[in-house]
Amino acid sequence: MIRLVDATKAFRRGRDVEVVALDAVSLEVTKGEFVFVVGPSGSGKSTFMRLLTREQVADSGEVWVSGKNLKKLRRWKVPLLRREIGYVFQDFKLLPNKTVRENVSFALEVIGRGRKEIRARVPEVLELVGLTDKAESLPHELSGGQQQRVSIARAFVNNPRLLLCDEPTGNLDPATSVGIMKLLDRINRTGTTVVMATHDQQIVDSMRRRVVELEDGRVVRDQVRGVYGYGA
Amino acid sequence: MARWRYVLVEALAGLRRNLLMSFAVVLSITVSLTLLGASLLLSEQVELATDDWTGRVEVSIFLCDDRACPAITTQQRDQLEADLEANPVVAEVFYESKREAYDRFTRLFADQPTLIEAIDVATLPASFRVKLENPQLFGVIRDQFAAYPGVEEIVDQRDVLNQFLRFTTLVRNAALAIALVQLLAAGVLIANTIRVAAYARREQTAIMKLVGAANWYVRLPFVVEGIIAGALGTAAAWGILYGTVPRVTRDLAREVELLPFIGVDQVVAIAPLMALAGVGIAALASTLALRRFLRV
Ligand SMILES: Nc1ncnc2c1ncn2[C@@H]1O[C@H](COP(=O)(O)OP(=O)(O)O)[C@@H](O)[C@H]1O
Ligand SMILES: [Mg+2]
Repeated sequence: MIRLVDATKAFRRGRDVEVVALDAVSLEVTKGEFVFVVGPSGSGKSTFMRLLTREQVADSGEVWVSGKNLKKLRRWKVPLLRREIGYVFQDFKLLPNKTVRENVSFALEVIGRGRKEIRARVPEVLELVGLTDKAESLPHELSGGQQQRVSIARAFVNNPRLLLCDEPTGNLDPATSVGIMKLLDRINRTGTTVVMATHDQQIVDSMRRRVVELEDGRVVRDQVRGVYGYGA
Repeated sequence: MARWRYVLVEALAGLRRNLLMSFAVVLSITVSLTLLGASLLLSEQVELATDDWTGRVEVSIFLCDDRACPAITTQQRDQLEADLEANPVVAEVFYESKREAYDRFTRLFADQPTLIEAIDVATLPASFRVKLENPQLFGVIRDQFAAYPGVEEIVDQRDVLNQFLRFTTLVRNAALAIALVQLLAAGVLIANTIRVAAYARREQTAIMKLVGAANWYVRLPFVVEGIIAGALGTAAAWGILYGTVPRVTRDLAREVELLPFIGVDQVVAIAPLMALAGVGIAALASTLALRRFLRV
């Protein structure tokens, strides 16, 4: 599903200071896996995710996602890649003037799906995330946890093979986070590969899934049934 | 279907969101295209007048009839005609009698009876009407025939036309130059407006790109927004020309009898070209404005 070979990405800050966000990262994630990417703020987690959606391109090394070498991917094919990937943000990024249903439908409309399909699929996904009765609410009428469910519904409505979540529980309280994790776990069980960046120790420890730890852009640990820190 | 409705709804929403700016864009397109249309019409006018004049008489040699000089004798007239026909500069000669001159005059000024009343068959002089191999060679004819007995005056008819054409061409070029500058300004204004619109909706477009909307589809609402503004401005400009030009030329035609003038037909004929320019500049400006802004 995902393969990185010595992927490196650096950013210029000012004239000659260079920040290496990812430093020769090699990593493989197979189909159906659930992977935590952990590490302190600034360790390169988001950059890793952005390489996978080709928001950014690696300076050197290779990045493969679902069989495509992203360095060689033509620009016009990038949207097609993104249709195979769902993306969930820490701050939800819902459209404030659209209802829950419209926010989710939007993701299908803009990739040209038919109205019939949209009408059938959206309620399914809203049911999956437990928001059937909030379909006509506006985002600001929802709690943080509910908004994050909408954002997951939007990411998942197109049945992506890969779900990328960048600190999805970063803005949520622990109890709400547990609910979100259960939802992601359920999505993972449908066969969807889930990669989740987080620095929430409790969540990682409770899930007992594969953990990839980044530090200053380097992979310092890759554990199959891991916990957040070495000491634990 | 849902997609296309989305594009249109978004484009209209964009125009409404910043009504003042949309108005400025439409206005600037209107101004520039009115000028552009006007210069196109002036070109048409020049062409029409030139076409009409080509093939007409280029030089008139008016003959004496006892008023300003002793009337030409038949012998003098035959001699003059023979010499004209023998002259290598002359392509064609024909004689217009007083009667024919009067008939032509009454035809030309058929709707101005006061003018016709003022003259009779004797008023207008007879003339030789001469077409030249090369209209520039008027000087040769004048030098050679001005002193002929019985010749009252030699007139280069093209002088009248040339003055008119020179003036019209000058006005047209000025209009065209201003139109192009205005069009450029309109393009910049559109590009800026579209950039503001794209910025206002950056969250939405970010999400569209993230879920895999095609690039053209992300951009289309903005381009359509520009095109709608461009089309509105073009329509307004064309409306202005349609409402004024035929009226002005009709009045002019009444004043200047000797020339044909453009009318509704020509205004209709330039519509596609104006649409191409107005909508084209709008589409181009919006597309260029989005080139960097909405890159994946
Ligand atoms: N677009 C960017 N421009 C400049 N520097 C960036 C950019 N994105 C990330 N960085 C830098 O790269 C490093 C890694 O950032 P990031 O991947 O966001 O880490 P994390 O998500 O783990 O907090 C940081 O030092 C950050 O400042
Ligand atoms: Mg981050």
